[in-house]
Amino acid sequence: MPDALLARARAGDAGAFAELVRAHQGSVYSIGYRMLNRRDAAEDLAQDVFLQLYRKLDHIESLEHLGFWLRRVAANLAIDWIRRLPHTTTQPLEEGATVAAPQPEDDMLMSRQLDKLLGELSPSARAVMLLRYQEDLDVAEVGTALDMPVNTVKSHIKRSLTQLRSRMIGAKLVDSEAMP
Amino acid sequence: MSENFENELRRALRPVDAPEGFTERVMRALPAQRDPVLPPVVNQQPAYRLVKRFGIPMAFAAALVLSVLLGMHVARVQDQRMAEEREAAGLAASRELMQALHVTSQKLDLAYQAVKTPPSPAGDEENRT
Repeated sequence: MPDALLARARAGDAGAFAELVRAHQGSVYSIGYRMLNRRDAAEDLAQDVFLQLYRKLDHIESLEHLGFWLRRVAANLAIDWIRRLPHTTTQPLEEGATVAAPQPEDDMLMSRQLDKLLGELSPSARAVMLLRYQEDLDVAEVGTALDMPVNTVKSHIKRSLTQLRSRMIGAKLVDSEAMP
Repeated sequence: MSENFENELRRALRPVDAPEGFTERVMRALPAQRDPVLPPVVNQQPAYRLVKRFGIPMAFAAALVLSVLLGMHVARVQDQRMAEEREAAGLAASRELMQALHVTSQKLDLAYQAVKTPPSPAGDEENRT
């Protein structure tokens, strides 16, 4: 996707902006979905993020910056929403969301179980895990996105991995021999 | 941490699809105009930026310096007044001493005069016989 698309969107080309939304909506919606555990709330959050993007489009320097900016705003907005509406942290995850690429049945089961277990983590830890493993950001980028020291990010990852793995072993979704 | 588990996690946490018609709903919700880009901050006067940034700490520092100077001035005036009072008390004491000495001197003069005065005539005659 060339930077020209960003320039066109900045110039007021609605089609170009729609293309930017299409390119990033999966990521932004997934962060909202796994953070808030509800499809309707995730859609509201994603819409809010793209409306913010529309207002701040002149501040976006490049497409790379755009991707990082969207993930950062989505994760922080989701943490804010959870803190403002604490009941969202304990809501069971709705079923029915489809992943971008088809998955085998085992993966689907594990994915659903993981989504549920992620909901048990603290909002900050959940955001760290999503940016690290869903969005594939490195530890330093996660720290910058969440305004968190790198060591805090690392300790969130370590604690959350241990917690998730022990819960998944309990649910017999991963092999206990995989433990260190 | 097992790398295998992290890879499984990555696979399980693949992004989910946004709901059907999401882009269209976002496009319909867009406001008519975007936020105007604010002029860069460098256009502000340097003095104004300095005052804005350091104004309050500078005011505190100035108030502190003024308080110290005022305190020093009050202490100096008080010292001066005490010295003047001590000097006045010394002068008064000196004056009283001088007066006492003067009175004593007068009394001694009187006593001396009394001693020096010649005896009465009746007394002289008795001495002659």
